[in-house]
This record gives sequence, C-alpha cells and structure tokens, in this order.
Amino acid sequence: MYRYDEFDHEFVAGRVAQFRDQVSRRLKGDISEDAFKPLRLMNGVYLQLHAYMLRVAIPYGTLSSRQMRMLAHIARRYDRGYGHFTTRQNIQYNWPKLGEIPDILEELASVEMHAIQTSGNCIRNVTADHFAGASADEVADPRPYAEILRQWSSLHPEFSFLPRKFKIAVTAAEHDRAAIQVHDIGLQLKKNEKGELGFAVWIGGGQGRTPMIAKKIKDFLPEADLLSYVTAIVRVYNLHGRRDNKFKARIKILVHETGTEELTAQIDAEWAQLRGGELTLPAEDIASIQAYFAPPPLTDRPEGWAQLAAWKRTDADFSAWVAQNVAPHRHPDYGMVTISLKPIGGIPGDASAEQMEVIADLAEELGFDEIRVTHEQNLVLPHVALADLEPLYRALAANGLATANAGLITDIIACPGLDYCALANARSIPVAQEISERFGDAARQREIGDLKIKISGCINACGHHHVGHIGILGVEKKGAELYQITLGGSADENTSIGEIIGRGFEPERITDAVETIVETYLAGRSNDKEDFLAYYRRVGSAPFKDALYGEKSQAA
Amino acid sequence: MALIWNETGVVENDRFASGEETPFIDLDAALTAAEEGANSLAVLVAPGDDVSRLAPVLDRVALVALDFPAFSDGRGFSHATLLRDRLGYEGEIRAVGDVQLDQVPFMLRVGITSVETRHEPTARRLTEMRLPGVGLHYQPSARRSQRPSETSYSWRRRTADAG
Repeated sequence: MYRYDEFDHEFVAGRVAQFRDQVSRRLKGDISEDAFKPLRLMNGVYLQLHAYMLRVAIPYGTLSSRQMRMLAHIARRYDRGYGHFTTRQNIQYNWPKLGEIPDILEELASVEMHAIQTSGNCIRNVTADHFAGASADEVADPRPYAEILRQWSSLHPEFSFLPRKFKIAVTAAEHDRAAIQVHDIGLQLKKNEKGELGFAVWIGGGQGRTPMIAKKIKDFLPEADLLSYVTAIVRVYNLHGRRDNKFKARIKILVHETGTEELTAQIDAEWAQLRGGELTLPAEDIASIQAYFAPPPLTDRPEGWAQLAAWKRTDADFSAWVAQNVAPHRHPDYGMVTISLKPIGGIPGDASAEQMEVIADLAEELGFDEIRVTHEQNLVLPHVALADLEPLYRALAANGLATANAGLITDIIACPGLDYCALANARSIPVAQEISERFGDAARQREIGDLKIKISGCINACGHHHVGHIGILGVEKKGAELYQITLGGSADENTSIGEIIGRGFEPERITDAVETIVETYLAGRSNDKEDFLAYYRRVGSAPFKDALYGEKSQAA
Repeated sequence: MALIWNETGVVENDRFASGEETPFIDLDAALTAAEEGANSLAVLVAPGDDVSRLAPVLDRVALVALDFPAFSDGRGFSHATLLRDRLGYEGEIRAVGDVQLDQVPFMLRVGITSVETRHEPTARRLTEMRLPGVGLHYQPSARRSQRPSETSYSWRRRTADAG
C-alpha cells in the first residue's frame, strides 16, 4: 500500500499545525463559529447533537495493521472505546473534545493518516472497490489512481470552496462494487483496443433529496489525462454550479439543468485548454505510485483446499461463514474475507477498540497486513489463504466478528440518525437493530438470500436508502417519526433508484412492513435463484402494494 | 476600516482602497470604458461574471478586483486561475469582500496578489505577517512555485519562500 514519503509527512505535519492554530483562534474567539465551520469541516470536524464528531480519512478504504491499532488507540484514549465505520470507507469518532482534536490529528499523522477533506464543500475522500488488488475481475488495481486523485485534491487552492461537497469513486471491474454511478465523478478503469489503460467517466450521480444516476460523458479517457480532465470538470462546476440553494448545489443538478450534452461540451472546451499541460501524468509517475500497490507475495497454498473441505464437514457454522463471507481471490488458494460489523441486533459499522486490535493482529498474522473498509460498513481482509480460514474464523468468532451475513438481509447500512446527527428527522440505528433481530435466524437469512436494506434518518440519504433493494427513509410528520419504504434500488453496474411504495409506517410497524415485503417475495419468486432485486424488476411493485396496503389501495 | 495587504506587508494609502465611493467599475462598464480609450482601469469581477470577456482589454487594466461575497463562495479562485493561466494577465489581482485569513494562502497560490479585508483578527495576523498556510502543495497553480526536486511527482510543488 501507499507509504508517505518526506513530502507527505511534512505536508500533513504542516496541516496539523495549521488546524491547531485555527482551533486556538476559535477558542480565543478570533473566529466566529460561522467562520470556523468551513475550516473545521475541511478537517472532518462536525458539530453534532451532543458533541463534536471527528471523521478520519481512510483513503480508498485501505488500512495497515499499524493504522488500525492507532484507530483503536484513539477510540480508547479520546473517545468512548469505539469507532464507527462509514459508507465513505472512513471512521467517525462521536465524542472527541475540540481542544484535543489537534492531538488526535498528530497521532494520526504518526501512522500516515489524516482527516483532511472528510467533510466540507471540497473534494472528499476518494473511494474505490474494497476488493481492489485481490479480485479476479479487475483490469488493474484502481487504487493508484485514487491515490493520485487524493494527493492532487488535497488542499487544492482552486477547489476548496465548491458549491457543495464533491465525491469521486474509482472501480476497475465491470461488476461495480464502488457505486460509481451515484458519485459526482465515477471512474471505471478499463483497457482500450490497444491494451492501454484509461477511464470511462461518469458525472452527476448522487443521492440526497434528488437522487440521480450518473451520465457517462467519456468512454475512454487516457490515464495520462486523468488530472487535466477532472480539473476541467471541477472548474466548470465551481464556476457554474448553483450556490443559491444548497439542496440544488451538487453537480447532478448542474448536469440536469444544463443538459448532459451541453455540459459535456463545456467540460471538453475547458479540457482542450488544459490537455497536454502540466497536469499530464508522466508514465513513470503512474508506475512509481503503482509500485506501492504491488500485490503481496502470495505463495501457493494448495493444501488449503482439502483442509477447508474437512473443516466444513465438521462445523456447519464455519461452513456457512465461508459460504457467505469469503469470496474467491484471483489466486485460487486464497480468499477475500468480509468481517461483518453487523452482529445481530448490533449497531451497523461500530467496532470496539478491542475488536480493532484483534483485526489488526489477524491481518498482520494471516492477511499480509492489509485491511479494507467497505462502503457497506464492513471490513475486509483481502488476502487470506484458504488454509488459514479456520484459525481466522475461530479468532473472529471469539470476538463477535464472525457473523455470517455478508450481503444478506441483516447486513444493513444505516446512517447514525437521530441518535447522533443534528440533521436527522428520525432514528436509524434502532430500526436497523430491530430488523436485524427479527431476521436474525441464520437459516432464514440464507433462505431469503441477497437483500440489501439501507436506512437513512433524513432525506440527505447518508444511509443510501435510494439504492437499497429495500430502502427505508425516516421522515418527521406532525412531530412523530415515520418511515417511508422504497423498493428496487441498486448501486452496482445496473444502478437504479428505488421507488416509493406508498405511505409510511410508524416506528412500531416498520419491521412488520419489511417482513411483509420479504414474505411477498418468498411466496412469489420463481425459484431460490431469483433474488429479491431480480424478482422486483420482473414483477414490479404491485404484489408488494397489495400485501402492504390491501388490494383496494390499487383502485384508490 | 479596510486593510490592504500584499506579500510585502500592509499597503498604506493605496489608490484603489475602498472608501466612501467604490474605486472599481464593473465588467460591462470596463469594456465600454476601454472601447472609449480609457486606461488604468480597476475592474470589479463579480462571482457570476465570465472573466474571459476581459481578454481583449487586459492591457488597459491596472487592477482586477475579485469579489468574494461570502467565505463559502469560491468562484473567485477559478477567476484568478483563468486570468493568470489562460489570459496571461500579469497585473495586480485583489481579493475584496468577505476575505478571511485562512483563505489568503489559497488566494496567493491562484495568483491573487493583494487582499482587502475588514475582518479585524485577519487584519491583525496579516499585519504580523503570520499566514496559516502549508508551504507544500500537491498541485501546480498560477503562482510560481517549484518542483520540490527533479525526481518528485509531476504534480507536486513547494512555495519558493517556504522552508
């Protein structure tokens, strides 16, 4: 993985000193809270309902064991002993003291981490496929490009006061695990006919109160032109994106109001001026960033196949965990292991300091020192030999980390909701917990199969409800919480926005409603190979409406 | 009372200091004045203006003032970049409006050469020449800055006077 050089160390140290100065001016009253807000946001510091919240960047979700141990240390020393992994592959601490945040940043800097641009109206932490560098289906590792974009976007002097936040995601496989079509810029690394690397470029995807699927504006952008083209996009957005209404300020609205064709023409005109200039990436620079991401030395471990088969025969729980949480690696003797942070009835994405340390140890011992954070709020050990799965499982299970539910109905994404967030209209976490309890039975989950439930506590959609197979949106109506259900959303290569099924449900009825939806699917599917999304796409919303609201609702 | 500052320090008695009357004319007025043969124009570019319209008259412009009406409005950063990199303007560019200390290092990097501020804590720190920026950069910009070394990545820069 990427390692800081002297330049990076000096830069981050400079940034910590700068923020320390900003905090001291705020505490002295030289800066008002209004003026401090954009400054602290650019360093990941939010003011929540009860306290400040610090969001630490985990670029493209990649962590070493050493870094994970530091996250555990910070949880223990400066917070209440846990952290919360987010849908942006970051980690949030909910209870730091403002005066201590510069110290936290200094500790992070010692392990090559920071909180730069994890919030604010700037280019946010660049995300990537959590299986990058390990999956069989990618054309090349997308993370070197995400790292180049991370560097280029850090404290960018022209793009630090954009109309609104700006999110970039990179994937390198046809099967999109990075949700690029719901990003401001989505990049798909691909090869052209000559075998050269470049990108298909999408812009204008997003969720929030106006969900939109991104539009493809370039089929093949040569890799050398990555920064000049992205600069052209962001410059056009900075100059022309709306600033009169923060709910219409994302680039998706600019795309929508200007028209894809016209906006693409503006971007291309700007790019024509920039192309071939000093932002052109030299091949040797790309190569030397790529060298940091060289695959680990995976020796052949064929003995794992027979061992795995034997272990599976003797332990049904282990067998179920392997089937659900271990995906094929590009090396046949290895697997990519999802560590679920969704224990039945737990808070999605939370991990205790002790759990983080266990994972750090296991990654070091059995996983080539690599950990990934997924946008689905789980962790991944991307390179584990099949021969090591059994001891890994035992250690995870002993620490509450072996829930065999990756991709199943209890693998729920939820935003922090009204329990923490100042923007929320409704609670998200208790809803996730109750659904998780209701469907906690392992056999029942497996029978239901792949089903993504995503819950947001307000229309800002941090819980990605628009792209949940079942999406749940908390709203406030007449002073009470109400939950609206959408069906049929998806954030993969066939991205779709879920459709609202009907009137909302009170907190005490939402889990029953989800169960009704699930039962309707189970009764209607043609066979157990037809997953929930495929069924919904085949039959539409009618059977679900009938089941939820009665036949009469169709006529009404 | 507004303070005018550039990298050499506080500027006293600047001829374009905002007083009771604005020293600037807007973009349309500047184009008209230039057509009529006026020189030494001080033009105020509003955030929504197309700065490239100034291209034909830049040799008649003494100062371009970029308006930052709110801390959160970053269009002026692109205007400055375009003036320097695209239009080749070499005269003074001044940030006016809601200019606050933490933006000033960014402003210098995109080619802004002076600022006018009414924010007292900002004025104090500028007077003390204590800027809060980081002298290392991950992107080229309009202001002259150097590659940190011959072997460093093409996108990296170091501000010439940073340690």
